[in-house]
Amino acid sequence: MKQTIKKIYLGLIILLLYAPIATLIVLSFNNSKTRAKWGGFTLNWYVELFQNESIMNALYTTLIIALLSALIATVVGTMAAMGMQAMNRKFRTVMMGVTNIPMLNADIVTGISLMLLFIVLRFSLGFTTILLAHISFNIPYVILSVMPKLRQTSRQTYEAALDLGATPIYAFFKVVFPDIFPGIISGFLLAFTMSLDDFIITHFTKGPGVDTLSTKIYSEVRKGIKPEMYALSTLLFVTVLLLLILINAKPSKKSSAASLKVKKRSRISQIILRRVVPAAMALVIIAGGFFYATQNSAGSKDQVIVYNWGEYIDPDVLTKFEEETGIKVIYEEFETNEIMYPKIQSGAIAYDVVCPSDYMIQRMIENDLLAEINFDNIPNIEHIGDEYMKQSQQFDSNNKYSVPYCWGTIGILYNTTMVNEPIDSWSVLWDPKYANNILMQDSVRDAFAVALKYLGYSMNSTDLDELTEAKDLLIEQKPLVQAYVIDQVRDKMIGNEAAIGVIYSGEAIFTQWENPDLEYVIPKEGSNVWIDSWVIPKNAPNQENAEAFINFLCRPDIALMNFEYITYSTPNTAAQQLIEDEDIRNSTIAFPDASELERCETFRYLGDENDAVYNSLWREVKSN
Amino acid sequence: MKSKKLLSGPYLIWSLAFIIIPLLIVVYYGFTTKEGDFTFTNIAQITTPENLKALGLAILLSLVSTIVCLLLAFPLAMILSGMNVNQTSFVVLIFILPMWMNFLLRTLAWQSLLEKNGVINAILSFLHLPSLNIINTPAAIVLGMVYNFLPFMVLPIYNVLIKIDKDVISAARDLGASNIQTFTKIILPLSKPGIISGITMVFVPALTTFVISDLLGGSKILLIGNVIEQEFKQSSNWHTGSGLSLVLMLFIIISMAMIAKYDKDGEGSIF
Repeated sequence: MKQTIKKIYLGLIILLLYAPIATLIVLSFNNSKTRAKWGGFTLNWYVELFQNESIMNALYTTLIIALLSALIATVVGTMAAMGMQAMNRKFRTVMMGVTNIPMLNADIVTGISLMLLFIVLRFSLGFTTILLAHISFNIPYVILSVMPKLRQTSRQTYEAALDLGATPIYAFFKVVFPDIFPGIISGFLLAFTMSLDDFIITHFTKGPGVDTLSTKIYSEVRKGIKPEMYALSTLLFVTVLLLLILINAKPSKKSSAASLKVKKRSRISQIILRRVVPAAMALVIIAGGFFYATQNSAGSKDQVIVYNWGEYIDPDVLTKFEEETGIKVIYEEFETNEIMYPKIQSGAIAYDVVCPSDYMIQRMIENDLLAEINFDNIPNIEHIGDEYMKQSQQFDSNNKYSVPYCWGTIGILYNTTMVNEPIDSWSVLWDPKYANNILMQDSVRDAFAVALKYLGYSMNSTDLDELTEAKDLLIEQKPLVQAYVIDQVRDKMIGNEAAIGVIYSGEAIFTQWENPDLEYVIPKEGSNVWIDSWVIPKNAPNQENAEAFINFLCRPDIALMNFEYITYSTPNTAAQQLIEDEDIRNSTIAFPDASELERCETFRYLGDENDAVYNSLWREVKSN
Repeated sequence: MKSKKLLSGPYLIWSLAFIIIPLLIVVYYGFTTKEGDFTFTNIAQITTPENLKALGLAILLSLVSTIVCLLLAFPLAMILSGMNVNQTSFVVLIFILPMWMNFLLRTLAWQSLLEKNGVINAILSFLHLPSLNIINTPAAIVLGMVYNFLPFMVLPIYNVLIKIDKDVISAARDLGASNIQTFTKIILPLSKPGIISGITMVFVPALTTFVISDLLGGSKILLIGNVIEQEFKQSSNWHTGSGLSLVLMLFIIISMAMIAKYDKDGEGSIF
């Protein structure tokens, strides 16, 4: 009876631990692009996974960093543990305290502190900085798993070995090492796992063109995780599971045999398994890494470093550009304008071409961070519609610094099966009928824009009374809101999780493809019309390549490729004419009427102080 | 023995360069303005009502998670330590194995499980049971915390439990102690180092997380970790962000002091 209860309890805990993993495995066979829908069984994602170079690259980077950092941490950590064992108590306590810091410190603080260090030292962020950071947080794990084993070894045996004429090194490897070996192994494995699983610290210390699986996944959260990722994690998980069974099952069977000899032999086979298997793995990884590294460095002299929004370009466009021009693209993604800005400002990383939004471009111009673009190198600018160049003047008064890439509006997406009335006003977001069925944008300016427009004010308002009014309105709305999201609104609306969501027009088109019940509207009070444009930072090392890149993107056939992939409206009028599907070419979501746009405003940069006011008011909303 | 101490040398230099100095930089940012003048205003930011509330809520949720973890983990560790598994590493690996699935993906998977039309509700409605609506509430955040940090509670406790000499327990029994007495007088006091280290290993990361509250709380619930993250990412205000991080480090220092006091020999390590 007692045993059954124990087993049930154990089973429940394991269910809790492995339920999400089972979910992910199931999702990897889901024949639908979003996780919100089950579209039947498929193995496609496994096939596509191996063709997806960026994921495979991220996998290799992750494994190499995990392996190298774990190896180095194991060597340094084991040495440190032995040294600390020999120290007096006081000094050892201090050292242990220091060792505990990275383990206990918030990841975010560790990550930020390392990033600040690298930036202060003008150490350019990249592969090396991730590796250094990972070694730093891995060493404590090794020390803490070797220390207890060291404490259990007897000093006398070691000294006896020395008395019998062994050299210290010989004595160490023959006497101490076998005793602490399990500790070293578990330290190594733990370090490896931690490095593999880390996101936050990597996020802060990585540079352009380098992605680990975690950072890759995070950039994909924006637009929904690619199912290939599920397939990859499933493969990783199954591989590890098989390895573990191989390592653990064999010796435990044999150890039941009483004979000492057998036991000894099983120990040897265990050690072989534990050494040979990881060594083989290491070999494969390193070989693969070198292969990728050499492949990547080929022709690296002629390159362009691109810093763009996540999922904001068709990957085939990049390949095509490389093929046609011979210029290698190093591609890096950001999640919000606010994350991008300090990276450019600090100059820690020199990007060639960046794609910020309107108000952020204004801020960058005001702070003298941008280079004037030489339009002689961009003849394809003629394909960009005049109205968009004119609109750009709101933030780039002489059209000197930016080339429009995508544009769109913000509006309301609603599910016609849950909303029976016609919607034309922001007021629906305050209708108690839809309590817990509303998805609101989780960014300061967008959220305030909705409230300010509803109140009839400008969304660039800096009037404290107006802002306070808007804040109160947002607080009033909060109980009705199901969640504040950025791009997850897409998956949630497709999955019928909510009736109403505030969304970017570009996403609306995609959601309609997936769920025909959804309808998009620009409310009558007006809304935001935004432009994301390409700019070249002042410290860009390859300005001409950057201009070639911008020019390439302005070519109508390329702009069309991008539009079909990302579904955000293109300012490229020539490309718009090329759209074959008439419904989309004339879609009022992608290309709204001029009359609708007249009601809309573009965000302007309001200055650091006003930004701070917005931020603090928004925090009041969020914490209420 | 002198030469042996030198083995710590590389680590000493390493920790100086990559642990101590970076922290000093955070301290510098925390105590200066944008112009580089000395100030307390960054630290004082913690006393604004919103930040205090975020801190309070973070403390509350992480306390609840820690208690839940402890209540779940202790019986679990008892069962595991009594299972007579030859390979302790195997037990450890059962709990570390999930980490090979990316942390963000695992947490996102909970979203799929808990959503209104999610897996759990599909099963519940199939069984004609009332639906479970905890997504985007503090309960979901607690669940996410417990799920992510439970191994850090189980492993230290398991490690102290297997070290308890079976003879001590037999002796207590021989001397007439009941099950409950054996538990409260022998097992519990002896497992204190593990419990303490488990508590800090769960409490601190739970206190400082921002990813879990974002993904499972629908960004409706602001914890102190979210505030700091936003200071760095949305407001690009590194000074205030650093100041608030320093406040958080206070809790870390307290945790370290607790460990130093109750777990002098590092028995309650997680491996």
